[in-house]
Amino acid sequence: MRFKNLTIGQHIPGDSVIHRLDPRTKILGTTMLIVLLFSVNGFIGYGLAALAIAAVIQASELPWRYVLRGLRPLMVILILTVSLNLFMTEGEPLLRIWFLTVTKEGLLRGLMMGARLVLLIAGTSMLTLTTSPIQLTDGIETLLNPARKIGVPAHELAMMMTIALRFIPTLLEETEKIMKAQMARGADFQSGNLMQRAKNLIPLLVPLFVNAFRRADDLAIAMEARGYRGGEGRTKFRELRFGRIDAAAITIVIAFTVVVGFFF
Amino acid sequence: MIRNPSQSKGAMFATSSMVKIGMLAGIGMVLMLLDFPLPLFPSFLQIDLSDVPAVIGAFSMGPAAGVMIELLKNLLKIIVGSNTGGVGELANFLVGAGYVLPLALVYQRWPNRQGVLWGSITATVGAAVFAGVLNYFIFIPAYAVVLGFPVEVFVDTAALVNSAVVDLRTMVIFAIVPFNLIKGVIIAVASLTVHRVLRPLWDKF
Repeated sequence: MRFKNLTIGQHIPGDSVIHRLDPRTKILGTTMLIVLLFSVNGFIGYGLAALAIAAVIQASELPWRYVLRGLRPLMVILILTVSLNLFMTEGEPLLRIWFLTVTKEGLLRGLMMGARLVLLIAGTSMLTLTTSPIQLTDGIETLLNPARKIGVPAHELAMMMTIALRFIPTLLEETEKIMKAQMARGADFQSGNLMQRAKNLIPLLVPLFVNAFRRADDLAIAMEARGYRGGEGRTKFRELRFGRIDAAAITIVIAFTVVVGFFF
Repeated sequence: MIRNPSQSKGAMFATSSMVKIGMLAGIGMVLMLLDFPLPLFPSFLQIDLSDVPAVIGAFSMGPAAGVMIELLKNLLKIIVGSNTGGVGELANFLVGAGYVLPLALVYQRWPNRQGVLWGSITATVGAAVFAGVLNYFIFIPAYAVVLGFPVEVFVDTAALVNSAVVDLRTMVIFAIVPFNLIKGVIIAVASLTVHRVLRPLWDKF
């Protein structure tokens, strides 16, 4: 057992128009895209959505291979989806290979489902590629703010998320260090049956928890010493600003979604 | 003394609890990266120990804190980049909460060894049944709709490694429920061992 990848998060910093958009605009835009992809039904609709996503990728000035790399974990499920729809849909036969029959309907359906999956992942990954987790958290906090009245703890959620995000790299580094230290003492994290392997992780978990609690205690004292007392009246160093490009972007996205979703 | 609103809003949102919950969610996220596949089960069922921090948090700060840690862990996963479009995270949250909640509620009522034992049993069985019901009625049909192919495909992939699986119902009974039972036992054993070692430290922090 080892870490799948030690770098966590996909965010790539930049200074393009897309990077500079308010996170709220991008969250709303992504939601619209998901709605759109499930409401269009036909190749013109998917084609237009693909063009729109391509335009966003181009405007973000990110290398295309980053977006394509995000699709890699999807490969197996994509091949499965396309080929199953290709062979299992009944209809007018086009091609016969041994016992498998490709039908016209199957071909269209397979391509459409594949396109939807690819566009869905490419589109949503644009959000996490161009927006830092902290910005996203900030965006979620302000979007949830109206729900405070019905008891949604918007500020507290965002604060806890920010703390977790701040400490994930530290915790990862620490996990690696503890693993190596325990392996040097003869711990084995790779072999044994399931129960054995879970038990072998205890010498990793205990120091990890103890250190985390110690850190949490220090941080809580530091926060209170600086006068932290919840979200009410709290000011921010970096305020989210909903500017003119955001207004323009959101107008374009809504208009596009309505037109494409309605007509195609 | 200045009144501190973050202290009076109920225990979970006191500064010290918020920091601990955030930290535990962070550990959960790290443990998610350390998963191991299970033999005899389809590959989309994987075991990881990311529920252990939620259980530890629930023991020390109550059931609501445990559920909150599960929620944050999955929100974080979505924010740093999910590859199931949020469906996997929703499933993980519901089943995780279905595990932590009964365990913490039983422990809250009987905070002793018996409470821990019966809590773990309730939680393991409860979460496994809950996961079976959720998968049967919601998640597998939802995946089938999104991917555009019939439910039988999931059944066929599961049947390749497990011959008892013949339809969706047998798949839930012979793959999803046992998987969650095994997972529940592993989480319980790991959490309880960690909890026993950490308990003397609770009062210090």
